[in-house]
Order: sequence, then C-alpha cells, then structure tokens
Amino acid sequence: MEEASLHQFSIATVLLLLLAFYGGTYLLTLCIKKKNEDTDAFMVSNRSIDFGMGAASMTATWIWAASFYAAATSGYTYGISGPLHYGMWGALMILFIYPFGRRFRKLAPNAHTLGELIHARHGSSSQLILAGSNILGSAISLMVNFTAAGALVSVLSPLPFQAGVIIAGVGVLSYTLWSGFRASVLTDFAQLVAMMTIAILIIPAVLFAMGGPSELMANFDRLTPEQANIFSKEAFLKQGAPFFVAVLAYSIGNQTISQRLFAVREDHIKPTFLTATIGYGGIVIGLGMIGLMALLAGVEPLDGNMNNIIPQMVSLYLPAGFIMLFFILVIGSLSSTADADLCALSAIVMADIYGKNIAKNNPDPRKMLFIGRLTMIVATTIGIVLASLALDILVMLVFVGALWGAIVFPVIASTFWNRVTDKAFAWSVILAVLLFCVVRFSLIPITGVVGVFFELVAAVGGGVVIGLMAFGFFGRTVGFVIGTLVACVLAYFCVGALREYTVLLASLTAYGVSTLVCVGMSLAADQRFDFKKINERVRDYDTPTMEHQS
Amino acid sequence: MSLTFLTSYILIWPIISLAVLAVIVGATVRDYLHSKRTGRDIV
Repeated sequence: MEEASLHQFSIATVLLLLLAFYGGTYLLTLCIKKKNEDTDAFMVSNRSIDFGMGAASMTATWIWAASFYAAATSGYTYGISGPLHYGMWGALMILFIYPFGRRFRKLAPNAHTLGELIHARHGSSSQLILAGSNILGSAISLMVNFTAAGALVSVLSPLPFQAGVIIAGVGVLSYTLWSGFRASVLTDFAQLVAMMTIAILIIPAVLFAMGGPSELMANFDRLTPEQANIFSKEAFLKQGAPFFVAVLAYSIGNQTISQRLFAVREDHIKPTFLTATIGYGGIVIGLGMIGLMALLAGVEPLDGNMNNIIPQMVSLYLPAGFIMLFFILVIGSLSSTADADLCALSAIVMADIYGKNIAKNNPDPRKMLFIGRLTMIVATTIGIVLASLALDILVMLVFVGALWGAIVFPVIASTFWNRVTDKAFAWSVILAVLLFCVVRFSLIPITGVVGVFFELVAAVGGGVVIGLMAFGFFGRTVGFVIGTLVACVLAYFCVGALREYTVLLASLTAYGVSTLVCVGMSLAADQRFDFKKINERVRDYDTPTMEHQS
Repeated sequence: MSLTFLTSYILIWPIISLAVLAVIVGATVRDYLHSKRTGRDIV
C-alpha cells in the first residue's frame, strides 16, 4: 500500500490563487449592466434565464466540494459501482424535480420561493415549516462549504484552517451581495466552465500517469468480490438506496433548486434540467473514478481521511500545475454552491418571512432588497463562525433530512390534489418527523410487532417515492399503479429485513407516515381548494398593488 | 471484466462532460449574441 504525501504550496501562492479566483469572479459581476436591482431581479433574475446559463448554474450549484470527496470515497470503498451509487442518484435529484417544477411555475408564475406557493395554498404555518427546513439546509450547506475551503487551504499550505474559511466567506459575499441571484448565475457559468475543463483534464491524466488501464487491470485482484461487481448489493444498500430515497427530498427541500426553477424561462425548464442532470453525472461520477483508481493502485488515504484521496492521487501522479487546477476545482465548486445558498437564504427571508409574514404581502421593495443583502451578510458571518468552530453537525443534518423527507408528499400533493387541507399538511409533516426520530435514534426497540409496523410503513414510503417519480413523468394513473405495486413488493421483502438498515428504514418511514396522514386527514375533511387562488395570492413585489397605490 | 470495458467505463465520464460543456458554452454564446442585439442583460 502506498501513502503519498500532499503537495504543499507557499502562503503567497495560495493567497495569489484565491485572489485571482475571487478577484476575477468579482470583476465578472461588474459586467452586469443594470446597476439598480429590483426584487425580482435580485431573487429570480426576472425569470428570464436562458438555457445555457440556466444549465450551467444548476450544474454548478448542485456540485459542491463534498460531491468530489464523497464520490471518490464511494469509489474507494465500494469499488466499480461506488461512483455510480453517488453520482447517478445525485444527478437524478435534478431530473426528477423538473416535472413538478413546471407545475409550480404554472400555479404561481410570480413566485420566488416554494414557500410562497405553500403560503398561498395552506397559510403561514405550513409555509414556515418549509421555509424553516430551507433555512436550516442552506445554512448547513454554507457552513460545510466554508469548512471545505478551510480544510483545503490548511492541507495544501501552511495557512491555518480559519484563514481559508474567512477568505472563502468574504470572497463569496463580495461578488454576491449587490446583484444577488444574477451574480450567482453569471459566476456559476464561469465557475462551471473552469470546473468541467479541469475535471476533463484531470481524470484521464491520472489514469495514464499511473500506467493506463492495463495497470489497473493488473491490480484487479485487489478488489473484493463485492467491489469488483458492478451490481454490488452492498454498494446499493449502503450507499445507493439511502441516497435514492433522498432524491426527491433534497430537490423539494432545497431552495437553491426551486429558485432556479422559478428563474429559468418556462419553455427552457426541461432542456435546462436534463442537461444539468447529465453534466452533474459526468463530472461527479468521473471524479469518483479517481477513488476507484486509488483503490486499484493500492493508495492508502493520508491520515485515514478519505477526503485526501483525490489530492493524494493528483500529488502522487501529476505535476504541481495540476494541484493548482485541483485547488481551483474545489474552490469553484464550493463557491458556486455557497453563493447559491446566500441567494436562497436571502430570498426566503425577503419573500417568506418579510414579504408574507411581516409586510403581509405588501412589502416595500427597497426595504426588501435591504433585508436581502443584510441576510447575506448575517448568513456569511454565521457560516464563518460555525465553520471555524468545526462543530459536529451530524444530528442537525439528520434532522434536516427527516424534515425534507416528510414534506415531499404533502408539498407535491398540495400542488396537484385540491383536497389536501392545511391541518393535513402540518400534521403529516410533524408526525412523520416524530416517527422518523423514533426509528433513526432507536428511541424504542425496533423489534417484534413494532419492527413489523415500521417496516410496513416504510414499504408504503418506498411505494410513495417510486410512485411520485412515475407520476411526475407519466401521470396520475401510472404513478398510482407503480407506487402501489412497489409498496406491495417491498412489504413482502422488507418485513423482518429492513430493520437492519436503520437509516433507510427511518427515511422511508418519514415518507410513509406523511403520506398516510396527509391522505387520511384530507379524505376525512372533504374540502376543495381552487388552484386559481394561488396565482392571485403570489405576487410580483415590484409592481405596486391597488391597495399600495392608494 | 475486460480491459476495453474498464477503459470505457472510466473515460466515458470526461467525454460526457466535454459534450455537455460544448452544449452549454455554445448555447450561452448564442444567447449572449442575442442579448447584445436586443440590448438586454444576459442574466
């Protein structure tokens, strides 16, 4: 086994690289012609983003630093199928949201956040559940990306961890603060071009520098039978399936995606999200192959840290210039996601909190913009402080995942089915999160009848996940039939077996409970909602209302 | 697993990325030229 050390840059080199990256990005935003933003431009770029920019922005936003590290870790751990079980499901998150996104746009063409749509449908409490989960998710993402910057700088140079965190935070804020979402999209394009070019160069460069495919084949006996199997059950159950279950949850719960759904020209949503799906898969699965190559080459992760695999491989086989490219690749990926998180947080505070709940749907646009920029400054400060403290956020991550899983069915059902009631929405989410926690943290023993109960609910949850995906593409009947069939098949296989996979059981429980409660309470209430009201209630804040004019 | 399969399996991803990059850059250049003609901002 080889354990390569990492290449070390001088402090001056790293500072110059960071200055070139953030300085160049800032200068790029000066190309935005319109200097005085309105709220629509600041939050959704006036809903006129074209295909190329939209696809670039969606891809760049969805690729964060952890994407490379986790894909490579998956390749290193699970072998041949590992990168697929990370990158493919991540890519499908982008694909499966677009049919629902088109429905959101049709119902609320003036929306900036999904929360506004839910506010119009169910009122403040349901909206605030969604907005709260969005805020937590984006804040965590911001912190994780700043942490990645600190870690990168500290492993590749003598600079301390905190210096990397602060430089990344200030750098991202500097180019996003004035033009908001428009700056995010414009810089995403440049960052994506850089990231893709670097990925395209690095993957074959590592492969051929280590002796080419024949060298890898010669070491194939290093793989266990599971690692050598492209249809590895272990890789699917431990890596792929929990990720697959999260596919819809991540895309519904993440405002960075909703914001792009509301910003891309309506006729370009499908090609934009399809292209982003393929682009994300290409880059992330490709870089995951470096983990597989490391496994075949017998490279041991430095200090046992899997995040070192890619930099180690690049240091071991390629000249120093490639390390610089890798450095830019990671900084580009984390910055594009961090600026999207800042825009998502500002839009939620502007529209969901100030616009809907404080100004009661009649906000002052100038004050709204001020609040948006202030949110960015506060969020960056919090992100820097939390990242510097290097907190253990596992429990928070688990909780956000539960909340996102619990809201998927109620959100989608509320936009297609006129019988979902406000109480059904709120209670289905609350009960789903509670039962998720019971399973995830083993608050009671998941054995005997209790175990069977949760496994059956999880089977319903599995049917809901597959049924919703089928529904998005093929309509209600196909979705219902496929969902029911899958639930029945899963019930047969899950009982007695799924309790061994706590993470998967808990995630599926969240889906199952929220669906059963939401459907049950809605059917019992017998109310009808007129979807036309959503468009009347979700407004463009830059156009004064009659009430405001008078 | 054959050598050809392993080579293709690893190299197909940068090739896909290259194709997507070409599509995105081509579309953006077209949109940029159009926005210059019409006087609107590209974002």
